Amino acid sequence: MKSARNRSLAEIASLVVILTLIVLFFSQASPIFLTQRNLDNTLLDITTVGILAVFTTMLMIGGGLDLSVGSTVALCGVVIGALQGTWGILPAAAFAVAIGALVGLANGFLVTYIGINPLITTLGMLSIARGLAFVFADGLTIPVFDSDGTQFDAYNTFTQFGEGQMFGIATPVFIMFVLFILGLLILQFTSYGRAMYAIGGNAQASQLAGLSVRRYRMIAYMLSGLSAGIAAVLLTSRLYAADPRAAPAMELTVITAVVLGGISLAGGKGTLIGTALGVLILTTLLNGMKLLSTSTDAQNIAQGVVLLLAVGLDQLRTRDINWTAWLRGSRLVPNGTKATAKGD
Amino acid sequence: MLEMRHIRKSFYGVKVLDDVSINLYPGETLALLGENGAGKSTLIKILNGDYSRDAGDVILDGVPVHFAEPRDAEGAGIRMIYQELHYAPELSVTENLLLGRLPHRQGVLGWMIDWNAAREQAREALKLLNVNIDPMTKMRDLSVVEREIIEIVKALSRKARIIVMDEPTAALTPPEVQQLFGIIRDLCKQGIGIIYISHRLDEVFQIAQRVTVLRDGKHVDTRPIAEMTHKALVHMMVGRDIEERAEVRKGTAAIQLGDRLLEVQGLGKTGAFEDISFQVRAGEIVALFGLLGAGHNILTQTIFGVEKADSGSVHIGGHPVQVASPQDAKRAGIGFVPLDRKVNGLVLGMSVRKNITLSNWTTLAPFGIFRPKKEMHNTRNWVDKLGIRMAGGIETHTRYLSGGNQQKVVLARWLEANVRVLLLNEPTWGVDVGARSDIYDQLEALAAQGLAILIVSSDIEEVLTVSHRILTIYKGHLTGEFMQSEATQEKLLHAAAGGTL
Repeated sequence: MKSARNRSLAEIASLVVILTLIVLFFSQASPIFLTQRNLDNTLLDITTVGILAVFTTMLMIGGGLDLSVGSTVALCGVVIGALQGTWGILPAAAFAVAIGALVGLANGFLVTYIGINPLITTLGMLSIARGLAFVFADGLTIPVFDSDGTQFDAYNTFTQFGEGQMFGIATPVFIMFVLFILGLLILQFTSYGRAMYAIGGNAQASQLAGLSVRRYRMIAYMLSGLSAGIAAVLLTSRLYAADPRAAPAMELTVITAVVLGGISLAGGKGTLIGTALGVLILTTLLNGMKLLSTSTDAQNIAQGVVLLLAVGLDQLRTRDINWTAWLRGSRLVPNGTKATAKGD
Repeated sequence: MLEMRHIRKSFYGVKVLDDVSINLYPGETLALLGENGAGKSTLIKILNGDYSRDAGDVILDGVPVHFAEPRDAEGAGIRMIYQELHYAPELSVTENLLLGRLPHRQGVLGWMIDWNAAREQAREALKLLNVNIDPMTKMRDLSVVEREIIEIVKALSRKARIIVMDEPTAALTPPEVQQLFGIIRDLCKQGIGIIYISHRLDEVFQIAQRVTVLRDGKHVDTRPIAEMTHKALVHMMVGRDIEERAEVRKGTAAIQLGDRLLEVQGLGKTGAFEDISFQVRAGEIVALFGLLGAGHNILTQTIFGVEKADSGSVHIGGHPVQVASPQDAKRAGIGFVPLDRKVNGLVLGMSVRKNITLSNWTTLAPFGIFRPKKEMHNTRNWVDKLGIRMAGGIETHTRYLSGGNQQKVVLARWLEANVRVLLLNEPTWGVDVGARSDIYDQLEALAAQGLAILIVSSDIEEVLTVSHRILTIYKGHLTGEFMQSEATQEKLLHAAAGGTL
């Protein structure tokens, strides 16, 4: 019996090895790759994915899934752009975060109380949020800056979110780190974190143990939406604009990174350390390809391949396959018939 | 006809089978007994070609054979019938019987299935056992025993000469068990050899001619069943004496009964049970005995808030409580050990520690933040108290525990949650004799500490062994109440089968 801890350590180690190989390859292939400037930029580029990945990780450990995060980022950004004049930029930003949480709550409600499959629910929400973003923005990119000079201080503060520095680190990167550490602590030491592992591991048993499964799930979806709101504020502040086309297919990048980091689609297992490595590997790969002037199409293909590889490996790891029989042409042994023998 | 000689097998350096030999004659039923972990399953999996052996011989009709995979064993006439059957529920009996061998039409219509011929073949096959099942019935409309019979028919129609049955009666009612035994006797008359694996000793006495006992991967003995007693068998399996509990109990009749902790009044749920009233006092263990589907399982689920009642009320400690969910039940001080611990009881991918503390976060994680030292301390306490045994300490995932130890973990969870009323559904289902005894000991100790315990069980030996008072339920109605001292198997079965007294 291999201990679970050793196995997850081995997984982390293999991710570190992959990351090292990718870094080595690109540092040889591109002279710009290891420059301070490129690293800083990459780190800034990661922030949106990184922030979303923290909460997607929690959600997926709890057996959930959220495909709507990318569109929600766009919607929240547009909300800031649309309301900045009438409400003032800071209230608009706060409201955008609340809208994010609301979208998450709607997802959570549909999944837990109405019982729609998470994939379908959030796929629908992906479409709705993106659509609303275009409606509110009239299909245009909204500039976000102090156009009439009346809110100088407020815009100054807002700009700090994206462009400022905290403790010598770019603010978005700092916020990402804080959220990451917070996520680690939550998963490790709080009942909410424990609930995610329990519910993702066995929702029925958790329910029968007296956990409020629905409430925890709602919270997880809500936090996922909330993180999209936070990411939207940082992105809008950094770009001085709200674009309904922002964060295109971001959900794909986030889920690829998270699954790569060892979070199972079935839920119940994985760590944020794994997710961090997954994010680093994926973004480094994409950044490196960009530096080598690979086309966006090729990057999309690479990302898809990584996703399928990660999910495929996850499947193979969890399934018990009688390889000798398989090679001789028998069908796969269904899950469980052998692995769950009663111990003798 | 079959001999397995000096079989050895290790997994990751752990000896699972150490010099085990069995032999089987045609027309014989050989019972294979042993606690969980004794090596029974490994042995038959080696026979079936699922596992390879490290040493030893398998000899069939005097010829050494080697099965690399189950197909080889099937080709040699060996069939397994597992506890959990694999079948296609939406397909008919015919299709399941002839799966992969359905007859086709002739000529240009050769790509079409010849349903008439198929039905005829299925009927022929069913005749082998004289069973009266319509070959066009869908599998899911059959009873559990009928599905098992179909599985046996399938084995016969594929020329099986040796049939291995792994706990075939686990989900059967007593009449169904007898039906299955009738079939087994028929098979023996046809010269087929049966290896019968079971936890239930009384069945072994009824059906087997010889018994082989394994313990810790070693061959203890093989004897004709006629030479054995119940007690001697248990001794062989466990390696020590387990007290005859019921007799001990009769000696110490004076139990301290306290307040009515659980009181159920006129509880009803359409289609499941009706007008159920009873009470369980502090210090008392009450068993609710019924045959499968009598409504007793759903009754405990209703008390625990998993299902909704249509009428009636539940009182805890004299106060009416509204239990609409398991959370409410937990708050009211009710704990529930569900039927299938792997599906409903445990988070298998989580550690023993986290499983035990799963229902007590209010104390262990005030304001949502865990207090690791206290959690560790409390976990250790229950592990020691209940004698939970696992290979790698309290961080072992519960997946790797034996059935008995898994059940103890679920029990510990509710004790940790400090409940006053404990509902248990079939608490020792699939639990071996030694762990079963431990669990009974614990339940008695808990009752003595003032808990009210309600056990729902279809296992009559268990009911007679562990409870102070027994209620019988039939088709959703309570049909009898017996003190332990006056209850007998006959009386209970009579009442549970709907007979009035």
